[in-house]
Amino acid sequence: MSSDPVLHSRRSLTLRFDIPISHTREFWDGLKEGKFLVTRCKKCGNISFPPQSDCPRCMSNEHEWVELKREGKLLTYTLVQVTPASFVDNDPYIVAIAEFQGGIKILAWLEGAKLDKIGPGIQVRLETRVSKEGNPYYVFTLPQSL
Amino acid sequence: MSRNVAVVGIGHSRFGRRTDVNIAELAFESIKQALEDAGIDRKDVGFVTVGSAGGWYEEALPAVVINEYSGFKSVGTMRVEAACASGSAAVKVARDMIASGETDIALAVGVEKMSEVDTLTSVELIGRAGSYMWEFENYGMTFPAYYALYAVAHMNRFGTTTEDLARVAVKAHKYGAMNPLAQFQRDITVEKVLTSQVVAWPLKLYDSCPLTDGSAAVVLASEEVARKLTDTPIWIRGIGYSSDSANLSKRDDYIGLRASVEAAQRAYSSSKVGPEKIDVATCHDCFTIAEIMAYEDLGFCRKGEGATLIREGQTEIGGKIPVNLDGGLKAKGHPIGATGVSMIVEITKQLRNEAGRRQASIKNGFGLAHNVGGTGHYAYVTILSRDAT
Ligand SMILES: [Zn+2]
Repeated sequence: MSSDPVLHSRRSLTLRFDIPISHTREFWDGLKEGKFLVTRCKKCGNISFPPQSDCPRCMSNEHEWVELKREGKLLTYTLVQVTPASFVDNDPYIVAIAEFQGGIKILAWLEGAKLDKIGPGIQVRLETRVSKEGNPYYVFTLPQSL
Repeated sequence: MSRNVAVVGIGHSRFGRRTDVNIAELAFESIKQALEDAGIDRKDVGFVTVGSAGGWYEEALPAVVINEYSGFKSVGTMRVEAACASGSAAVKVARDMIASGETDIALAVGVEKMSEVDTLTSVELIGRAGSYMWEFENYGMTFPAYYALYAVAHMNRFGTTTEDLARVAVKAHKYGAMNPLAQFQRDITVEKVLTSQVVAWPLKLYDSCPLTDGSAAVVLASEEVARKLTDTPIWIRGIGYSSDSANLSKRDDYIGLRASVEAAQRAYSSSKVGPEKIDVATCHDCFTIAEIMAYEDLGFCRKGEGATLIREGQTEIGGKIPVNLDGGLKAKGHPIGATGVSMIVEITKQLRNEAGRRQASIKNGFGLAHNVGGTGHYAYVTILSRDAT
């Protein structure tokens, strides 16, 4: 390692964001109730995930919330071994992208899977979760047979 | 009618862990060289663009800090951000200011200082570069993890192997060892790559570019000024660009980068040249899979045949299309905002026949720089030539 003199700054900066979710509140509340909701534009019928209150296709803000079918197909995945600073307390995790009804794709952790037992094309199921801090999220799980 | 623009001066710092300099001192190294190479002084420069992603060094406004340190007074300036393609974007803004007639000489600087925070904080800052809310907050994505999603899909679809990926790293180190400015200066083997630590399966440490401090700079000039300044202007013939969704879940597929394909098409069409005429290229190899996808996305081979090019040695000197003869991001290093400018510096050296041991044979006079921001979030393709038209 280098022995160049450096000034170890005395001022540290902690950033923690309060992220507005009023436009997607139904989604986060839905997760807590075990529902997985996405937005459907009332004007053009476009379905969005991530959910958004303004339609990216026709720009209308009239939307409704609809439930997504939970069965999907695994497209690709990775096992994250070297985790970011804010995830150092986590064991390595599998992140996957799966495709659902209507071509909707979702990125989430794949729980309870072993790398040598899975591959693109297998079925996964979308499940809702709530963290111990009370934050809702969602994961993929495998059918019992795997 | 837009004016022709040439690269008339280049500068490049040593890449690596540069704890000996701060951000302004690091940028100065390249700026001084580029101005001297062009034979001009600071008062001749009408505008300075600074490509830097920032966040990992202490200054929030790098452009003004760098300009003050380098002795620029009252110059027009801005910081330009396009993630890992910030450098190419800075070159594009500078090029456009000259092409439009706004100024005759502009300086594009790319700089990044990534070693001032600890490694896992760097991993975090790059991991957040996608869609924070939907990919990071709950799922802790990392830069290698994003590209690993592409690697798994590409391997599954086309039979690309981890050995193929390793060959890309071996080639990068081979040429990096010939580039005194590169971060890594020694050869490696396929076995060394395959047995290195897994960072995001199937990608390993040696599939990944390092965290790097570095800077690069180019002086650009209008045709009238360029012809007075130098006998070897290297002309910017076309710059293509595109972008793709922030969320990887919104991509069409995971076997190539749509933004790269579109940027390349625009670059080829605006410079009226096809991939078969390119003598030498730099491709955005932040991870080994990225270089294989780049071969395909840029049209150096058909989709799915990228691994064949590396297996056959077609992207080495003497091959069909030599790629990353400076060591690439993998061995030269990847100081995020500096990379795009560094690529233009390298292609300029190659087209000037100044690359020494790692010189490609220049037949048609065209070189290409392919610079991706994030995971195909941004893409810029710049085509340079020995001839103005
Ligand atoms: Zn709509």
